[in-house]
Amino acid sequence: MMNKKAVAVCMLASMMMLAACGGTNSANKPESDASQPSESASSTTPSSGKTVELRMSWWGSDARHEKTLKAIELFEKKNPGIKITGEYSGFDGYFDKLNTQLAAGNAPDLIQMGGNIKEYVDKNSLLDLTPYVGKTLNVSDFNEGVVKAATFNGKYYGVTLGVSSFGLLYNASMFEKAGVPLPTEKWTYDDYKTAAVQISQKLGKGFYGSYDLSSEPAALGSYLHSVGKELYRDGDRHFDKQDMINWFTMWEDMRKAGAVTPPDTQVANPPTAVDKSLIVKGQVAIQSAAASQIYGFQELTKDKLGLTTYPNGSAGTGMAPPESGQFMTVYSKTEHPEEAAKFIDFMVNDPDAGAILGSDRGVPASSKIRDQLAAQSTPVDKVLYDYISLVSKVAPETDNHQFPLDNEFSKLLQLTSEKIAFDANSIDKSVDEFMTEVDKLLAKAKTQ
Amino acid sequence: MQKYKTYAAGYLFLLPWLIGFFLLYLIPFVASFYLSFTNYDLLTAPKWAGLANFKTMFTDDYRLGGSIRVTFQYVFISLPLRLSFALGLAVLLNQGMRFLGLYRTIYYIPSLLGGSVAISVLWKQVFDKEGIFNQGLALLGINGPNWIADPRYAVYSLVGLSVWQFGAVMIIFLAGLKQIPHELYEAATVDGAGPVRKFARITMPLLTPVIFFNLTITLIQSFQTFTKAFIISGGTGGPINSTLLYSLYLYIKGFTFMEMGYASAMAWLLLVIVAAFTGLLFLSSRYWVYYSDGRD
Repeated sequence: MMNKKAVAVCMLASMMMLAACGGTNSANKPESDASQPSESASSTTPSSGKTVELRMSWWGSDARHEKTLKAIELFEKKNPGIKITGEYSGFDGYFDKLNTQLAAGNAPDLIQMGGNIKEYVDKNSLLDLTPYVGKTLNVSDFNEGVVKAATFNGKYYGVTLGVSSFGLLYNASMFEKAGVPLPTEKWTYDDYKTAAVQISQKLGKGFYGSYDLSSEPAALGSYLHSVGKELYRDGDRHFDKQDMINWFTMWEDMRKAGAVTPPDTQVANPPTAVDKSLIVKGQVAIQSAAASQIYGFQELTKDKLGLTTYPNGSAGTGMAPPESGQFMTVYSKTEHPEEAAKFIDFMVNDPDAGAILGSDRGVPASSKIRDQLAAQSTPVDKVLYDYISLVSKVAPETDNHQFPLDNEFSKLLQLTSEKIAFDANSIDKSVDEFMTEVDKLLAKAKTQ
Repeated sequence: MQKYKTYAAGYLFLLPWLIGFFLLYLIPFVASFYLSFTNYDLLTAPKWAGLANFKTMFTDDYRLGGSIRVTFQYVFISLPLRLSFALGLAVLLNQGMRFLGLYRTIYYIPSLLGGSVAISVLWKQVFDKEGIFNQGLALLGINGPNWIADPRYAVYSLVGLSVWQFGAVMIIFLAGLKQIPHELYEAATVDGAGPVRKFARITMPLLTPVIFFNLTITLIQSFQTFTKAFIISGGTGGPINSTLLYSLYLYIKGFTFMEMGYASAMAWLLLVIVAAFTGLLFLSSRYWVYYSDGRD
């Protein structure tokens, strides 16, 4: 509690400082504006003589929007010739909108990307940042791995905003209330089920131990690893029908045991939407999430949230090593690549920006910023950092391959999961259809 | 010269519409026809694919059939409900009560808000598990289901929303009712006809042109319904594609999966379906639509 207060005070202080700066700035503005706009612009950037305007798009929770806007404000203060307009939203519909903008040729100059960055690289939508590296854009404090993650055919396309990993996000307060021990990285799927059933029973009607994770691609990927299989590598799937039957049967058992949310409750309160998730309402104890999302979730609840790895299977842990969750990329048709690169550099290397942005997009890639944050960490930071180092420790040395046509795959998995959960089709039949469609997707990906 | 000036002014006033027509209708119309024969991912140039999209649509798309089925379900349940509801209220409002204007406005409001996002969001809350609708049912001792999140009922929440937005249809009915000559009713009263008989023998036949108009317009609109399904299902058409109306699926194909060529082909199939139903309506109209001005 004390800590939370301290954070609040710090935030307040920093906001006041920013407000104070803003005050002096706006006090200066009117006179220069009043005299002549072109003159005021030229006085700020003598070189080009014009204010450069950039647009930047990202998705996330309200907490992230606030932090990002604050960082932009600070950047504009330090670089008076550049103005950045934010275009932000939740994750749903983010890429639909981006696709439309790209098609129309007016995408934002700066674009937040996820694991699907390669799709956009392949379609020539993103700018090669290699020419700016070492000049405007400094990545020398980064691990080699996170630079490699956004390098395709020797060209560097995206700067990692944070290293993260998918895993289980849990409501620790609910575990405590139910008197169930907290999950650990040693958990098996049986332990998971036992704990979830106990929580459901102890807390009574309307409370559930866990969301149904059978529709989560990341959870499925981890499960397949944990039984010695793989979702995808080098153009092919590395699992068969029986694996999927086992997967869905396991969740069916949990559903029947009352361990997980009934399907209609889950559809009405999807865990992917931070403000709808029943974790923050203290009604569901476990869900799957990208670890860095904990900031958005924690913001909405007084309950204590925690992170742990997906459960273990017969072949041990299924976790993949932490990886770049998000990248900041530049639109290939931007008119101001130099300024865009400058802003990215600011986001990942500037200590003040680092202090504002924190680890909201994952653990920062720059070791300097990481050290700085560690020195002033909040309780939530600690949960995230501990989790990332835990995953780094337990995960074997594999590189994770993203399923191609990821979007369609997720929708297909969701559909299959719903068919089974709502009892619209038997597991066997649903999985048959699933396998047929997966193979079609793989065939389609090869032709592209 | 004077004449030229008159024309110029006319064209000038027409210009906004003309620009809109070319940019928003004609050019996209032609473009979508071309694109329906290509593979087009929005970002790279379209590649010619011949009839491949159409072939996939009819033979190899596991969602399309379901999406058409849901759309038919939606259209053919909501259409009669919406029209009869609107007609019923229009007849009531035509009885010459006080505050008629006020009632008319109140009933029209839901339609004014139309396909808007706000209404769909509101609707989503009304039909939530703990929403107002189920609270009402609870008073009657009925434990309502999760209307929107249950695949068995989700499409009916869309139907309900559509019926609720009956205002525009009702206003047109009301105008039609006002057109019916009062003498006919008076004559019928003299002949001893009751209200039911008057409605069946005078109101309905004379109203058939208006019914035909409303039927056609509503049919076309219903086939193109998008916003409701998009908002209520969070853009997914779920659960189990139970709200995957055709337009929504078309949108997902085009903008989420980036298969704009395929989406264009789907748009043309929709055009054919809607044209077929509209054509049938027109063909049937000669048997049941009565024009009092002597045309048959």
